[in-house]
Amino acid sequence: MGCSSSLPDRTSGRLGGLNSENGGAPDAKNLRVKLVLLGDSGVGKSCIVLRFVRGQFDPTSKVTVGASFLSQTIALQDSTTVKFEIWDTAGQERYAALAPLYYRGAAVAVVVYDITSPDSFTKAQYWVKELQKHGSPDIVMALVGNKADLQEKREVPVQDGIDYAEKNGMFFIETSAKTADNINQLFEEIAKRLPRPSPS
Amino acid sequence: MIFSIECEILLRLISLNPLKGYVILNAAKLFFCSFIVSFSFHTVNPENDGRRLQEFLLNMEAAIRDHPLWAGATEEEVDCAMEGLEKYVMTKLFSRTFASFAEDAKIDQEILEKISLLQNFLRPEHLDIPAVFNNNASWLLAEKELQKINAFKAPREKLLCILNCCRVINNLLLNSSMSENRVPGADDFLPVLIYVMIKANPPQLHSNLKFIQLYRRQAKLVSEAAYYFTNLVSAKSFIVDLDGKSLSIDETEFHDSMQAARLVIKETRIKTPPALDKPADLPVPSRRLHNKGGSNYPFMEAEAGELTVGDVERLLSLYKDVVNNYTNLCRAIGHPPLSKLQPSFPHSEETNVLLEQPEEIMKTDHKAVE
Repeated sequence: MGCSSSLPDRTSGRLGGLNSENGGAPDAKNLRVKLVLLGDSGVGKSCIVLRFVRGQFDPTSKVTVGASFLSQTIALQDSTTVKFEIWDTAGQERYAALAPLYYRGAAVAVVVYDITSPDSFTKAQYWVKELQKHGSPDIVMALVGNKADLQEKREVPVQDGIDYAEKNGMFFIETSAKTADNINQLFEEIAKRLPRPSPS
Repeated sequence: MIFSIECEILLRLISLNPLKGYVILNAAKLFFCSFIVSFSFHTVNPENDGRRLQEFLLNMEAAIRDHPLWAGATEEEVDCAMEGLEKYVMTKLFSRTFASFAEDAKIDQEILEKISLLQNFLRPEHLDIPAVFNNNASWLLAEKELQKINAFKAPREKLLCILNCCRVINNLLLNSSMSENRVPGADDFLPVLIYVMIKANPPQLHSNLKFIQLYRRQAKLVSEAAYYFTNLVSAKSFIVDLDGKSLSIDETEFHDSMQAARLVIKETRIKTPPALDKPADLPVPSRRLHNKGGSNYPFMEAEAGELTVGDVERLLSLYKDVVNNYTNLCRAIGHPPLSKLQPSFPHSEETNVLLEQPEEIMKTDHKAVE
């Protein structure tokens, strides 16, 4: 992979992509988390993110509205805050080989498929296998069946998603970026599953 | 004193607070000395150099925070000092650290050549870029940002060129999507970036990316900057591995187009030497091609006033290349080098037409740019 492969691993010594706001020592109260989105093109990856970021709109926060990079901070009940830095990836087949550049050092991977497209479910399974082989060993993975509002067009049964996620130790949820169903739940659940740096 | 204080940021720091600036400058000089000393003992090893610079910057940051003179300094002040330090040290070490590894220069050249071939036939639809994003004005703006990368020596500034390019693309995607009621994401961003990269053919692409990755302060190559930087690395990697299967194009057509592009480039190379002898104000075929190809000849559109002392080195090496190529070509075709002002080899019809109708060329030129 050109110049990047021979370089020192930036995240070594840190907790798999987790680090604090000031770039210094890990801060148990304010986590900064690199989250990578994987999935076939057209499954609604960017819609999920936009819904998440816009849905919790906070006029005081400086949200960068990029097309493919967005960040959003959520507060948990234990007064911890988690800032998600969301890295979208191009889902077209021709860019599949580039994905490792993006998920390297990610603390979270969200693998998305479209419940109306069995092909996208197959593709999601491919990504899960890839991540198991090449991702950080302590990466938190979520499997997301999107477009849950299109029940009448469903082709991937809920149970298939549940079973596959369970077999692979992943968190599973079905969402609808259109109706905002389960979008916040997805990110809150991820936040809860993050490994915490031990307070020093 | 071996080292002159020429870095503007340090000067500014020093003028803000002479003592603070002095502390930093001294440390920078010490590091510089140790770097240069070890340099004379070791062969070039970019990864090691990068690690050492990162360590130095981390230590310096810690030292600044602990120093009594900096007690009570705000985060911004410390950050500004660190940016100044990075720029100062890297400007000093530029010739040692940038594209100094023969292997890297070779990769740069290979990428440059591959892109020049692709430029000849690649169209947005080959990357399935939706027509709604076809906006030549925005693309050109993004290309220009990318092509500026060699105008800077500091890693921060080189990275800024990349971020600006991505910002232009993002604006285009967001504006074009608004009417379409769609949400642009990486599925749209990456293909456009790849297309812009091919159109721009930025100079020393591989070396520039490697330089930023190794020498930009690690605390600064995170988050959004890291994301867009990764996209550039990824686009470069796509281009390096690009073959008939990577595009929406028939594989035979791809190979034929590449072959045809090779011929076109070979032909223009032969046509180029006499053009060099012509008076500069005459639009000649080579110039037309250069403007189209853009970055192959980064100084083509530069004004004398824009050049910096740092450009002299590159200009000189480019000049030597040109002279060598010219001499070799002249020898190859049995024509004495540096001869008369008029081109004397047989022209293809196209060349003659171009030479006779300068205005026509200008028009085509503009079209290519628009």
